[in-house]
Amino acid sequence: MSTTVSDDMFTPDVIADPYSYYSRLREEDPVHWNDTYELWVITRHDDLVWLTRHHELFSSAVFKNDPRPPYPAIEESDLGLYEYVRNYQGDQFIQHDRPDHLEMRKVVHGYFTPKSLEEWRPFVQKAVKELLDAAEEKGRMDVMRDLATPLPVLVIAQMMGVPEPDRPYIRELAEKLLYIGRGEYDRMPILTDGMKGMIDYVSPLVDERIVNPGDDFISVLASGEKAGVFTRHQVLVNTSLLLLAGHETTINLLCNGTLAFISHPDQWAKLKKDPAGATKLATEECLRYDSPVKSIQRIASEDVEMRGKVLKKNDRVRWFISSANRDPAMFKDPDTFDITRWPNQHVAFGSGIHHCLGATLARVEGQEVFKALAERFPGFRIDNEDLEYQPSITFRSLKSLPIHWN
Amino acid sequence: MARKLRIRVDHNVCVGNAMCETFAPHVFRLNDNRQSEAVDPDGDTVEKIIEAAENCPVSAILVEDVETGEQLFP
Repeated sequence: MSTTVSDDMFTPDVIADPYSYYSRLREEDPVHWNDTYELWVITRHDDLVWLTRHHELFSSAVFKNDPRPPYPAIEESDLGLYEYVRNYQGDQFIQHDRPDHLEMRKVVHGYFTPKSLEEWRPFVQKAVKELLDAAEEKGRMDVMRDLATPLPVLVIAQMMGVPEPDRPYIRELAEKLLYIGRGEYDRMPILTDGMKGMIDYVSPLVDERIVNPGDDFISVLASGEKAGVFTRHQVLVNTSLLLLAGHETTINLLCNGTLAFISHPDQWAKLKKDPAGATKLATEECLRYDSPVKSIQRIASEDVEMRGKVLKKNDRVRWFISSANRDPAMFKDPDTFDITRWPNQHVAFGSGIHHCLGATLARVEGQEVFKALAERFPGFRIDNEDLEYQPSITFRSLKSLPIHWN
Repeated sequence: MARKLRIRVDHNVCVGNAMCETFAPHVFRLNDNRQSEAVDPDGDTVEKIIEAAENCPVSAILVEDVETGEQLFP
């Protein structure tokens, strides 16, 4: 089967509404060769689950194993900078396959289990309360600037023992690192600037925790160096990865979820009836309905057949969470936002051995924010209906979400 | 005498992260869908089984004492 769907995934209409674009692909050509970007586009839920759970067929070492220049194209004079990006990204633990990946994940996994993270819930509740107190006084807020950004930064910085005055700088660096999923042809200098800034910032913190380990997360990573699992560069890069991943995706969950409630007053009313009771499933539905991460990539480790097509060894394979989570073969009325949906086998956090390390942290933050919003506010209106998204195929990120209430 | 355990894995929730297999390799095994199954509740020590359940990132594993009915995890 083939499709007439255009291969440009970065056009303004696809960025604004990825769901129409990917649902057409899902129906017409679920295992689609995108000739423009030279990659396979996987859009069905069952295919995505199968692919992510067969990690031996699809390598996560994307940066190490893909010698091709990045897509969309960059300036030729920036190819040297891209080598820096490859080395940096390639040392992240998520960019490894078994057996190395298992040893690396074991170092950090225990910190992020549901049981460990439950201990952070009171800290999250207190932080949410303080942010909402400040917003309430003003009578309006930009959900992005005043709530969704500061909350996860506060939490991850606390976990890592990053001094409070440094947090805006971390956010500034994170903004630059996000260019990894963007399409601007001149993005490499900004991206590498962010990466070098992170390494420079994190280095003295790691030096210190190697000598004086505490119960913070950088000390956990440093213990991996002592155990011979991580090199120093890997500790630095993974510290920076978790500073970024620990908040960027959660920001999107909080903004996209809040927007979903604003657009669906009936579901907001349901949440308001029983905020504490409803927030858990509601958060899962927010994760499904407008997922923080849109797509992730692998490299085929060998020739693999999917739906009658042969994905050749070393082919790029990109799987679309935002399509799988709207697959009617998996979800009844997939385009309906239903906060009581259960079971809800969404793949917002991926699946298999690479299932998002921070999933529970994101869930705790989402649950506490949606609960607190419903407990404290009658309802919201958007200041300006023209909402814009970052031009990324990796992240579903609003640029801002200014709202007010009565 | 060793405790008899009942172990259940909720397949509506299990994502095949396979950490249970790492912590209690004689108890948990991934099936054809790459979801976890408790194939031998006596395969590892109770401590290892609880550790496996605690390390499940989606809390899909339930552990009970067969005789007393006591829920050991979660």
